Amino acid sequence: MDDIISIKNFSMSFGKTEVIKNLSFEVKRGETFGFLGSNGSGKTTTIRALLGMYVPTSGTLNINGAPYSVSGSTRLGYLPEERGLYKKESVIDVMVYFGQLKGLSRSEAYEKSMNFLSRVKLDDKANIHVEKLSGGQQQKIQLGITTMNDPELLILDEPTKGFDPVNRKLLMDIIKEHQEKGATVMMVTHQMEEVEEMCNRIILLKNGMSYAYGTVEEVKAHFGGKSLNDIFLTVYGDENNEEAVNA
Amino acid sequence: MHNLSTVIHFEIVRTLKKKSFWIMAIGFPVMMAVIFGISFLSSKATDDAAGNLKNQHFSIEVTDDSKLVNSTLLASVKAKTISTKEQGISDVKNGKVDSYIYYPTDFSKSSIEVFGKNVDIFNNSRYEDVAKYLLTTSVGMNTSQKIKNVLTEKFTVASTTYRDGQVYDPFKEMIIPGVFLVLFYLLIAFFGNQMLTSTIEEKENRVIEMILTTIESRTLIIGKIISLIVLALFQGFVMIAPAIIGYIVFHNQLNMPWIDLSALPLNASRISIAVVIFFASLLLFTGLLVLIGSSVPTAKEAGSFIGIVMLLIFGPLYAVTLFISAPNSPLVTALTLFPLTAPVPLLLRNAVGNLQSWEVAVAIPVLIISAAIVIALAVRTFRYGALEYSRKLSLKEILGKR
Repeated sequence: MDDIISIKNFSMSFGKTEVIKNLSFEVKRGETFGFLGSNGSGKTTTIRALLGMYVPTSGTLNINGAPYSVSGSTRLGYLPEERGLYKKESVIDVMVYFGQLKGLSRSEAYEKSMNFLSRVKLDDKANIHVEKLSGGQQQKIQLGITTMNDPELLILDEPTKGFDPVNRKLLMDIIKEHQEKGATVMMVTHQMEEVEEMCNRIILLKNGMSYAYGTVEEVKAHFGGKSLNDIFLTVYGDENNEEAVNA
Repeated sequence: MHNLSTVIHFEIVRTLKKKSFWIMAIGFPVMMAVIFGISFLSSKATDDAAGNLKNQHFSIEVTDDSKLVNSTLLASVKAKTISTKEQGISDVKNGKVDSYIYYPTDFSKSSIEVFGKNVDIFNNSRYEDVAKYLLTTSVGMNTSQKIKNVLTEKFTVASTTYRDGQVYDPFKEMIIPGVFLVLFYLLIAFFGNQMLTSTIEEKENRVIEMILTTIESRTLIIGKIISLIVLALFQGFVMIAPAIIGYIVFHNQLNMPWIDLSALPLNASRISIAVVIFFASLLLFTGLLVLIGSSVPTAKEAGSFIGIVMLLIFGPLYAVTLFISAPNSPLVTALTLFPLTAPVPLLLRNAVGNLQSWEVAVAIPVLIISAAIVIALAVRTFRYGALEYSRKLSLKEILGKR
C-alpha cells in the first residue's frame, strides 16, 4: 500500500509557542488511521496544516505526494472539529451548494442529498432552515456534505462527538460503507472502542510529538497488552493531573 | 469558473430570499412616496382652505385703510366694515365677533394684522388665510388675467446658452453623469453594511473550514464581490425606478419642474467616464468592506468600521463648493486622485464638466489598481484570518509575508 498522507518533520509554532515538534507519520491508502491524543495535543493543528489552512513552520505535509490544494485532483471529505453550516438557509440548499462546489451537477447534488437525508431519517427536514435543527441533526448534515463526493480520503475530526449510541452506530456504519468502497479514513476520536473497531493503525500525539505509532496491535503490545482505553489513561492521565495541579 | 457561478448563484438567491433586502429596497421608495404624499396633501389642504372660504362659518370685521379690498367680496363673506382698529380688537376680545382684520395703508411698511378668537392650534390659521384671500382676490378682480399670470409667475422662460458655437445647457448635461454619483451614494449607504458582513457569516457559523477545503478562497471572495455588486445594482434599480415613474406621473401635482427626459443631452465621453469611475469605485469599496469584514471575527466588530469607510467616501462632500468653484486647487486635486476619497470628487466633477483629461488619465488607473490590490488583500485576509474566531487580524498580519 502506498501512502496517501505523508507528514515529515512537521513543526508548527504560534508566536514563541511551539505546538508541534518534528512530527512524522504516514497514512496508507485504503486504511483507517486513528489520530489520537488528549485535548490540545496538536491534532487539529496538524490537520489544518495538512489541508493548507496553516502554513507549517517547517517540514512537509503531503496528500497524494503534494501539498493539498482545493484545485488538485484529490477527492477530499473533511469533517472539521468546528461544526457549522449556513444557519439561515434550508438544509437542502446548503447540501446542494456544497455538492456543487465539490463538482457535482445540481441534480446529482440534489439526488445524493435526498438519499443521505433519507438514510439518516431527516428527509422531512430538507426544506427547514438549518438553525431549526438540533446539534446532532446538524452534525449528520455535515457528515452528509463531507461524504457527498464519494471521497477517496476522509478526514474526520471527532465525527461522533455528542451523539447518542444509536446515532453513533448509524454514523459509524456510514463511515464503514465509505471505507468498504475504498476510501482512506483518518479519524480523530476520543472513543477508544471506535478505534478498536475501525482502525488499522494509530498514532498517539502528546505535547505535539509522536508518543506511539503503529498498528493497533503493535501499540497495545508496546504497552504490555493493555486495552486502548487503559493506554490512553496511562499516557494522558499524568498530563491531566499536571493540569489539575497547575490549575 | 464552475465554482464562481455556483457561489454567485447561491449568494444572490439567498440574499433575494431575505426579508431585510426587500424591506431596504422597497422601504426607501415607499418612504419617499409618503414624504411627497404628505407634502402634496399639505399643499392641497392649504389651497382647499382658501377655496372653501365661503364655507367658513365665523364672523369677520374689517378695517381697510389700503382701499384695495373689494366691498362686494366683503359682503359675500358677510364681513362688516368698521372704522378703527381699536374697536375691532375690542370686539374680538369681548367675543362680539370671531375675527378682525386690519389692512394698513402701505403693505411695504406695515403688516396686515389679524385678531381672532382661539379655536385650536391647527385652525387658528384660518383667519390669516381669509385675510390673504380677501386681498388677493380683490386685487385680482381689477386685474387682467395676463397681468395676474405675470404677478404669480405663471409663465416659463426658455433659455439657450452656447459653448464653442454649440447649444450647451450645463444643468442638463450633468443630469445623466450625475445619476451615477447619486446611485453610488445610495448603494454604499444602503448596501455597505451587507458588504461589510458578507464574509463574517462563514466565521460566525463556523462553516469556514469546510469552505476553505472545498473552494479556493479567491473564488469565494470574487464570487461574493460580484454577487454583492449585482445585488446592489438591483437594489438601486428597485429604489430609483419608482422615483422616476413617480416623477413622470406626479410632477405637476408635486409642483416639480418638468424635465423632458428624452431631450436630455447624451455626452458620450462624460457618460462613459462616469460608468468607468462608478464601477471602479464600487469595486474598490466593495473590496474594502469585504477586506475589513474578513479581518474581524464578528459582525459587531465589523460594524465599528463602517463609519470610517463612510467618512472616507462621503467626507469629500463637505468640499462640494470647492469642487465647483476652485477645481484646480491642490485640495481638490488631492481628493480627486487619492483612491479612497476619489469616487465623489471624480463623479461630481465629471458631471459638472470640470474634470481635466490628465486627471481622468491618472485617477481611473489608480482606482482600478487600488481595487485589484484591495481585493487581493481581502482574499489573503480571508484565507489566513478565517480561522481567527476570536480576534481581529492586525495590519502587519494582513500585509506580512506568509
